[in-house]
Amino acid sequence: MNVLIIEDEKALAAELEIFLVNYNYICEVCYDGASASEKIAVNLYDFILIDLGLPDYDGLDLLKEAKKSNPEAICMILTARAEVYDRIKGLDLGADDYLPKPFSLLELQSRMQAITRRKFGLKQNLVDLGGFLINLTDRTISYYNNEINTITKKEFDLIAYLLLHKNRTLTRSQLSEHIWGSIINDDYDSNYIDAHIKNIRKKLNAYAAPDWLETVRGLGYKIKVNG
Amino acid sequence: MKLKTKLTLFNTLSKLVIVTIFVLLLPALIKKVNQNYTDSRLLKQKDKLLKIIKSQGIKSYIDAGENSASYYTPLKEDYVSLSVDSMPGNIDTIKNEKRKLEGDTIEYRILSHNFRADDKKYILEVAISVDAINETTRPFQNIAFMILLGMILLTIMADQLYSNYILRPLGQIIKTKLIAHKFPNFGSYEKVETTTSDFEYLDISIHKMIETIENTFQKEREFISNASHELMTPISILQSKIENMFGRDDVVDDVKTRLLEMQRILNRLKSITKTLLLISQIENEQFLKEDKIPLSELLQEVHDEISIRLQDKNISYEAIVPENWMLVNVNKFLLFNLFFNLINNAVKYNRENGTIKIVAKEENGAYTVSIIDSGIGISTEDLPFIFNRFKKMRASLQQDSFGLGLPIVKSIAGFHEIKIEVESEKDKGSTFKLIFPAFLIEI
Repeated sequence: MNVLIIEDEKALAAELEIFLVNYNYICEVCYDGASASEKIAVNLYDFILIDLGLPDYDGLDLLKEAKKSNPEAICMILTARAEVYDRIKGLDLGADDYLPKPFSLLELQSRMQAITRRKFGLKQNLVDLGGFLINLTDRTISYYNNEINTITKKEFDLIAYLLLHKNRTLTRSQLSEHIWGSIINDDYDSNYIDAHIKNIRKKLNAYAAPDWLETVRGLGYKIKVNG
Repeated sequence: MKLKTKLTLFNTLSKLVIVTIFVLLLPALIKKVNQNYTDSRLLKQKDKLLKIIKSQGIKSYIDAGENSASYYTPLKEDYVSLSVDSMPGNIDTIKNEKRKLEGDTIEYRILSHNFRADDKKYILEVAISVDAINETTRPFQNIAFMILLGMILLTIMADQLYSNYILRPLGQIIKTKLIAHKFPNFGSYEKVETTTSDFEYLDISIHKMIETIENTFQKEREFISNASHELMTPISILQSKIENMFGRDDVVDDVKTRLLEMQRILNRLKSITKTLLLISQIENEQFLKEDKIPLSELLQEVHDEISIRLQDKNISYEAIVPENWMLVNVNKFLLFNLFFNLINNAVKYNRENGTIKIVAKEENGAYTVSIIDSGIGISTEDLPFIFNRFKKMRASLQQDSFGLGLPIVKSIAGFHEIKIEVESEKDKGSTFKLIFPAFLIEI
């Protein structure tokens, strides 16, 4: 998939590129609005990531141009200006999602995947993990046709997020940012991820040992998928 | 007491005192005036008589061979007497004395005067009865009293009207500049009409002070808003770099542990920045209040988020909330955060196996939601400061917090005009009571 990254902070643009290339996206980077405008007019992209705070261009104008010449593209707005007003305006103009800075790269990728799935109506997204069948579309887990309905929404969110970034260690910070990120509160350290993982293991253990859910000592957790 | 009331009271009292003094002095005063008048009348009569005697001779009053003569009015109100004086020395006095006239003893004001005529010393007495003098004293007193009373009433009324008129600008300044304004949103300046320079000065000074405060506030808000916005991009870059490095297979675990530490510290910075930004956005009223949600549903959502924390400390949670309470004209995101932070605090500062109770009820026409915990409580000396930013209480130092939980709560509550009352007893627990204005609740 082709991604156009429009971001005037070169260091951030570089990290976005490194990360997305790692997930097999083909990336092009623009550091200013003028060259982005040209690229949008000429090329076709699957994803366009737009930073609203460009020095030479109003990001929302770029969004309009993108919608015109790249109507199929998924447009995501990345911005440090987290005002509600911009948010509404951005979504009204046809942005598919909006990610306020600072965001986690993992979060960006999971949003990109979610929109793709929504947009193209991908067939049932099923993953088999040692006998556990995880349905990412219906958000259910079953073990040989027995649906496990004790898994809570939060717990499923954790499993899905780990699964999306399979074979990659996710830290507690990354996980808690994903499931509690929108809550503004007073904690800067969250050990409750451990409690959640403990609960997940307990619930799944009733059927079989979820060996695929690994604790990476001192670092975090990962879901290991072979092959 | 209001200045106007005080002035009115003083005016009335001072005038009453004056009236009283005057009324007490009035008889003596009138008497004195009357006496002076009588005395001058007597003197005039004496002069007239002496003039006549001089020109016409004593014979015209005293018949030859007689030693004295008296003339008086039929009711004996006044008399004139002339007689030969055999006493040595000269008399020239005016005084009150009693005289017997044809069997009646009457008190008179008598002018006595010696003069010589035809080589004889005579004494002249001109007298007016004291009763006749006093007869006029009473009506005089009454008239004086009535006039005085009328004038006093008039001046009190005039004073009242004038002080009302002159103090009106002050009242207006107090009403429009001090009472009506909600700190720190003062609104635009409206000049108070006055011709009194002191009030003009007061009005302008208050306005200038308000402007200064407003500007400072505005600057602080802008600064926080700008600073937190500006911090977002560098934090974003650092976060991305750390995440990318962490994801690399060729980075050894020891380095990864350090990256994790960095990530945690960066998260802390991010939380603080996001919180400050949120507070500044609330203060700049950048949120809409158009959501509608049942209170029980909102609390359930908070509970879902927080249940893992309750479970971690084995805290029992109970919510007694009427199902039909609907929150209206609110911002759901903000109210969620308000309840989340309050309940999260109730968990954080609770003991193992403690309790949390949420009680929503109507109390004397007010809608209240209380969050009651069995935690460590807040000491009396800390209580006034718990809503201050970055104020960390001794008890909270052991917790992973940076002192912005309650400031968020306060900002959100203020934005929705929700009042917060805190009651706490050390080692017993705290109760945070939210008092909702009627326009936020629909039943």
